[in-house]
Amino acid sequence: MESSVEQNPEREMERAFPNDLDWEEIYQRVIYKYSSPHGIQHIKELMYKLEDKGEIIVQHIKPSNNPVEYQTINGNPKKIPTTKLWNHKSCGQCGHIPGYPTSVFWIMNKLETDYVDEPHQTSCTGWNYHASGASNPVALAGVMVRNFWRAYEIDYYPLIHCGTSFGHYKEIRNMLILHDEVRQKLRPIMRKLDMDIVIPEEIVHYSEWLYVNSKRAASHKRYDLSEIKAAVHTPCHVYKLVPDDTIYDPIVYQGRRPAAPTGTVINFGAKPVDYSTWWDCCGFGFRHILTEREFTRSFALFKKVVPAVEEANADVFVTSDTGCVTTLDKSQWVGKAHGYNYNLPVLADAQFAALAMGADPYKIGQIHWHATDVEGFLRKIGVPIQEYKEQFIQYLQDIKEGKAETEFLYKPHRKIDFYLALPDRVQYERPQ
Amino acid sequence: MFELATVKLSLPEDPRYLDMSYAEQGPLPEEMRNLDQLSEKDRKLALEFYQSLASDFRYNEYLRGCLNCGVCTSSCPAAKFYDFGPREMIQYMMRGEYDKIYEFTNEKVWACVQCYTCSMRCPFNNEIAGLIMLLREYAVKFGLESAKQILAPYRRILLTVLTTGNQVTPDMIQPETFADWGPQALEESKNMDVYRKAIPVDLMQRTDIGWHASLQTAVELMTIMIEAGVIESLKNIDKDLYDMIIDIYEERKQFLEEIKEKYQKGELNEEELPDSWLDL
Repeated sequence: MESSVEQNPEREMERAFPNDLDWEEIYQRVIYKYSSPHGIQHIKELMYKLEDKGEIIVQHIKPSNNPVEYQTINGNPKKIPTTKLWNHKSCGQCGHIPGYPTSVFWIMNKLETDYVDEPHQTSCTGWNYHASGASNPVALAGVMVRNFWRAYEIDYYPLIHCGTSFGHYKEIRNMLILHDEVRQKLRPIMRKLDMDIVIPEEIVHYSEWLYVNSKRAASHKRYDLSEIKAAVHTPCHVYKLVPDDTIYDPIVYQGRRPAAPTGTVINFGAKPVDYSTWWDCCGFGFRHILTEREFTRSFALFKKVVPAVEEANADVFVTSDTGCVTTLDKSQWVGKAHGYNYNLPVLADAQFAALAMGADPYKIGQIHWHATDVEGFLRKIGVPIQEYKEQFIQYLQDIKEGKAETEFLYKPHRKIDFYLALPDRVQYERPQ
Repeated sequence: MFELATVKLSLPEDPRYLDMSYAEQGPLPEEMRNLDQLSEKDRKLALEFYQSLASDFRYNEYLRGCLNCGVCTSSCPAAKFYDFGPREMIQYMMRGEYDKIYEFTNEKVWACVQCYTCSMRCPFNNEIAGLIMLLREYAVKFGLESAKQILAPYRRILLTVLTTGNQVTPDMIQPETFADWGPQALEESKNMDVYRKAIPVDLMQRTDIGWHASLQTAVELMTIMIEAGVIESLKNIDKDLYDMIIDIYEERKQFLEEIKEKYQKGELNEEELPDSWLDL
C-alpha cells in the first residue's frame, strides 16, 4: 500500500512546512548561526544597516575609549574599549561578593582609567529569566536598552561585569537586530521613558577588558605568583552563549580556549593548570543555587573542585562570573559532612589581579565574604595577612563607633542621584 | 503500544533497570518513560500550549534539525543528576508531539541549569537552551502547575527583581536557609550592617539591596515590566504577588512624579529628601 507521502507528496510537504510561515525569512535569521565564520559579522552588518535607516542608535567605540583590537574564535575583529567606561554592575556580585566590583574599580583607579559607577542601572534581569522564565523578549530587551541608554546619554561605554549579563545581552542584541517585531513592540515603551533603542557597537565583558590590560596591570604586581597553580573556570555564559563573540588569543592554549580569564592568570605570572572538566558548568543553575542547592553543591564539588585538586593540584580556582565564584566558593564547606575537605580558594580574576597588585585583602578584596581559604592562598604568595586582618578589625570597630568614615574608591554620589537621573551627573562625578 | 519488558537481574549494568525513580522498570526508550497518558482536559491544554509555543517567533529559528546523536544530553550537567535530557525534548519537538512536550514541561524542564553547553555543541545548531527557556516562559504564561510549584519558594526573589531590578539581596543569607554555606556566611549575616558599611562604594552599603538603584530607575524598570506584559503573566501564577507589585508601582510612580515636578520648578530642596527612598 502506498504511504500518504507517496499518495499526496504536496499535501505532506505542506503539513511539514506550513505555507503561512515565511520560511525564507526564518532561514535568513538563522543564517548567521550556520554561516560561521561570518556569524557576528552578519549581525553587525545588519546593525549598521538599521543605524543607516534610523531604526536604531548605535553607540560607537570612539578614539576617546582608547580601544584595542582582538580576535574572536572565528578570527573576526572585536574592539575592546579600555577607558571612559560605564560600569554595568552585577546583582550577585554586589550582593554576595562585594570584593568583585570593588577590585575592578580599584584596578581602574590604579590604571588611571576613566569610569563611572551609577545608581541609574538595574541588573540585566537575566538571572531571574533563566531561573524562572518569568519574563519575555520585549521586557528583556527593554531592560537592556534602558541600561545602555543611560551609558549612551553621558557618552561612557558600557562594560559589563556579569557573565550572564554579557551572554544574555549578546543574545538579546542579536534578537533586536534580527526581529523587527520586537523593535516595534519595544519602541513605544522606550518612548514612554523618553528613550530610544540604543545598541553598543560591541558588547564587552570586564574580563575581556581586564585581559587586554593585564600586562599593564601586572607591571604593578607586588607578589610573586610563579609557584601558584591556578585552575581556571571560564563561565559558560561568557563563551557558550553567542560563542563567536568573545575574544581568543593564541597565548591561551593555542587559541583553543577563551582568552579571559586564563590569559590574565598567565600575564600575572601564575601557572594555569588543566583539568578534565574545564569546559563543564559550575553548577549554579540560576534557580538551583537559590532553591535547589542539593544539585549545585554536588555538581560544584564533584565535577569541578575535586577534578581541579585531584588532577591538577590547584592552589586556587580563578573564574570571571558572579554565579561561578559564588557556586564554587560556597559549595565546598558542606562537603565536610562526607569527608570532602578540599577548601580550594575561589577568586574572581579581578580579585586575583588586585590582590597580586597589593590591594588590601579586606578593604578592597573583601575576602571575608568568601567561604573558602583565601587567607591561606594569600599567605602562600607572601601577603602579610595577619597585619591586614588586625587593621581591618580595628577599621570595622571604628566605623561601628562612628570614629572612622568609609574610605571610598570614588567620590560618593549626591543625594539627588539616588532619586533622579540628571544630565549634570557626570560633571559632578567626573569634573574635567 | 510498547510491551513492557520484564526486569532481568542478569542485566544490572543497564542503568535504566536500576533507576528507582521510574515507576516502570525496563529498557524503554527515553521518550516512552515516566510519562503518563493525559486526560482529555489536559490533552486540550497541551495542544493549546504547543500551538502557542510553535507560533512564537523564536521557535522555528531555534529548532533546526536533529541527528538524535545525543551530544546535548551527554554533556548536560542536569542529565547527570536528574531524569532529564535535552535530546528527548528536541525529539518531541521534531515530531510535534504536543502531549509529550506538555508532560516534559510539567515534569522535567525545570531541571535544566541553562549552561548552554548543549547549544554550543549541537552539530545541527539547535538553540536548545533557548527552546528550554521557551517552554518555561510558556509554562508561566499558562500558569501550569509545575511553574506554580517551582516559583513558590522563589516568590521573594521575584518581588525583589521586579521592583528593584536586583535579583538578590545581601540579607537573604540567613542561618536557617543558607546553613550549608558554612560558618563564614553566618558570620556575615550576624554583622551585615557594619560589613556593608565597610565596602568602599557608596552604592553598595545597604543590606537589603545589592546596589542602591535610583528611584527613577526602579520606576522605569517596573514600567517596562508592566508594559511588556511580565507582571500580567504573574496573575496566573501568584495573584497576591501581582497585586503587591502593582501597589508598589503606583506609590513609587506618584512619588517620583512629585519629585520631578518640584525639581523642574526649581522647588526641590535636596536636604529635605529622605536619605533613601527605599526606607519609605
